Amino acid sequence: MVLLKSVPPPTEGVRHEQAETTAIMDGKGLGCGTLYVAETRLSWFDGSGMGFSLEYPSIGLHAISRDLSAYPQEHLYVMVNAKLSDENEAEMAENVHDDDEDASSGGEDDDDDEEGVITEIRFVPSDKAALESMFSAMCECQALHPDPEDDDSDNDFEGEEYDVEEAEAEHGQGDVPTFYTYEEGLSALTQEGQATLERLEGMLAQSVAQQYHMAGVRTDESNAEFEDGMEVDAGTTVAGQFEDADVDHW
Amino acid sequence: MESAENQTPEPELVAGFSSIRERTIAENSLVILLQGLQGQVTTVDLRDESTARGHVVNVDAFMNIRLKKVLHRDRRGRLTQLEDLFVTGRNVRYVHIPDHMDIMETIQGQLAKSHRVRNFAGGRKEYAKKKS
Repeated sequence: MVLLKSVPPPTEGVRHEQAETTAIMDGKGLGCGTLYVAETRLSWFDGSGMGFSLEYPSIGLHAISRDLSAYPQEHLYVMVNAKLSDENEAEMAENVHDDDEDASSGGEDDDDDEEGVITEIRFVPSDKAALESMFSAMCECQALHPDPEDDDSDNDFEGEEYDVEEAEAEHGQGDVPTFYTYEEGLSALTQEGQATLERLEGMLAQSVAQQYHMAGVRTDESNAEFEDGMEVDAGTTVAGQFEDADVDHW
Repeated sequence: MESAENQTPEPELVAGFSSIRERTIAENSLVILLQGLQGQVTTVDLRDESTARGHVVNVDAFMNIRLKKVLHRDRRGRLTQLEDLFVTGRNVRYVHIPDHMDIMETIQGQLAKSHRVRNFAGGRKEYAKKKS
C-alpha cells in the first residue's frame, strides 16, 4: 500500500512542493529529488522519475529536526508505521529493529502494525527555511485523514443539535429552565455577553435604520428583550411603522 | 477580549475547533481534556515505546497532537531535540497530565468555551447555561 513506484507525482491538491530535497530511508540515501506534500499522499521523486509515495494513515509522526548532534542536517523526519523497501519487498521486516526486545509488547492493540515495525525517512531540503512550510503542509494533510478505526468518529455530529436533557443531567442542574424570560436571560449573560448583545443590537439598529422599519423590530434600547434579535413582539408595533414600505410592492 | 470571537459564527475561531464535527467528537470524549493542555509542557508516550516531551501546541478531535520544542527519546533511549512534532492520534499511547492541573476544572473550562460558541454563534438561547 505504501510503496507505489509507478504512480506519478500528484498534480492536484499539492499543498507544498519542495525541490532539491534529499530523501534518506532508514539510513539509506535515495538521492536528491522533489517532495510533494499532497492531500492524497506524500510523494518523493528523483530526477529520473524513481520514487515512492506514502499514504497518510501509515504515517505515525513527522517532525522538524534542527538538532545537528542527532543528525548533521536540519530535516523533516517522518516515521512510517510500516516497513518499506525501495528495492524488493523481500528484504524488509525483521532486519532493522532486531535489537528491539519490546517488539512483543507492541503487539496487543496494534492494528495493521506489525509489532512496531517502522520506517524512518528524513527529507533534507537544500532550503532549510522551507522546513516549517513542509511541516505545516503535512500537518494539514494528515488532519484530512482521520483514523477510520477510531470509534469516536461514529458520534452524532449534527452540530447545533444538542441534547438538552442530557446536558442538563450531566451538569446536575435539572431545574434550570431551558427558556429564559427577558430578565433571566439578561441576567444570565456575563459581562462580555451583555457587551456582545449591545454591540450586535447596535449593528442591527444601524442596518435597520437604513431600510424601512421591519415589523416588531425597534431601534431603541428595548431591543434587549429580543434575545436573538429575531423574535417578533406583536404587542409593540409602532404606529405608522409601515409608512416607509414601498407601496408599489402591492 | 473574548467577546471578539463571538462576532463570527464560525467555530473555527473559538476553542480551536475546525469543524462542528470535531467539536462534537471532542465534547463527547476525554480528548477535550487533552485540548485543555494547550500551552502546557507534557510528555506523550507513543505507541512505539518512544516518548516526546514538549509544549502542547494543539490537540485535535482525533487526538493528533502537535508539540513544539520537543525532547524525543526513542525506544533505545536516544535523545533527539525536535523543533516541531506532529504525532497522529493512532500513535499516541499515553498523554501525561501535568500534576498541577486540575482535571475536572480543565474539562469544564473547555466545555464552557465551546458552549459560548454554541450560544452566540446563531444558536438558540434556550440552551444557554448559567455560568458560575
